[in-house]
Amino acid sequence: MDDHLGPDGSAGGRVVPVYALTRGRTRSSGRDMPIESLVSVTEHGQRSVASLDIEYRRIVELGRRVVSLVEIAFALRVPVGVARVLVSDLAGCGHLVIHAPPPLEANGGPSQELLGRLLDGLRAR
Amino acid sequence: MDYAPAEATTGTGTLPPTPLKILIAGGFGVGKTTMVHTLSEIPPLNTEQEMTELSEGVDDLSAVPDKRTTTVAMDFGRLTVDDSLILYLFGTPGQSRFWFMWDELAAGAVGAVVLVDLRRVDDCFAAIDYFENRGLPFVIAINDFPGTERFDARVVRDALVLKPEVPLMWTDARDGRSGLAALISLVEHALARVAA
Ligand SMILES: Nc1nc2c(ncn2[C@@H]2O[C@H](COP(=O)(O)OP(=O)(O)O)[C@@H](O)[C@H]2O)c(=O)[nH]1
Ligand SMILES: [Mg+2]
Repeated sequence: MDDHLGPDGSAGGRVVPVYALTRGRTRSSGRDMPIESLVSVTEHGQRSVASLDIEYRRIVELGRRVVSLVEIAFALRVPVGVARVLVSDLAGCGHLVIHAPPPLEANGGPSQELLGRLLDGLRAR
Repeated sequence: MDYAPAEATTGTGTLPPTPLKILIAGGFGVGKTTMVHTLSEIPPLNTEQEMTELSEGVDDLSAVPDKRTTTVAMDFGRLTVDDSLILYLFGTPGQSRFWFMWDELAAGAVGAVVLVDLRRVDDCFAAIDYFENRGLPFVIAINDFPGTERFDARVVRDALVLKPEVPLMWTDARDGRSGLAALISLVEHALARVAA
């Protein structure tokens, strides 16, 4: 019944197909946002959740627990490229934070410190 | 209504939430789905879906709404390692036509577990070549299928043309401890290479 708002507060109207939300935008942030990028919801996002279009709202709800881009794509059953655009939108207006991916070593892999923590964590299982 | 704050933004640790990823590679039917599902803490319900190509442009889709896009079955699993570290597992199809996808998955990855069925060793060569060329650490996990002849490790190494430092082990993808041992071996191997 209610008109839902886009993440920037503009009137979003009725529930729209997810591809309409992305308006053909894609690929732009592939390098900046790898598929395992973690996002979580901000307080502002939590307050605004009820006013969002359904796809945005589902992402914000998923983000109440730290969640990766690829998990969002699976949950919404959309390609990762589409989820990336929607997440960028939400981050752009402060509903979500995207946690910066860890810095990589010269060989392109994670740091010794991170690998050490991973090893400890796996061994403790 | 009051919403609970997101767990990880206010978690006990001060460390930022950090993702790591490991690829589970190998030919068709070798046990990728089984291993990812056995190790993952998220229920298997959502972990394998037909997915449109990772990097597929949505322009094409909106222009031709009923166009059938290439879909790939990608297994996907998650393990919470500690307060802030989350490990993602990606089971990736071994065929070279999916290399576009491997590139995205391999970027920044810890490494790969290459599953091998000794009755069909040829299936793993594409994966081994790919990870070698990319310089990505990998381990070889031989899944023991019934009726497989028991080969000596040295014979298997020769058949797969493995460098001596590449760890080789026998696993059962259906067994969580076994899969975990393969992950641990991979991380040890990756650490040895970073430290070297
Ligand atoms: N004996 C044995 N069977 C396995 C093992 N791993 C997988 N399987 C079985 O092999 C079949 C194919 O496994 P699946 O995980 O679907 O292979 P995928 O195509 O690589 O994803 C399934 O019936 C599994 O139960 C293993 O380590 N040992
Ligand atoms: Mg499978």
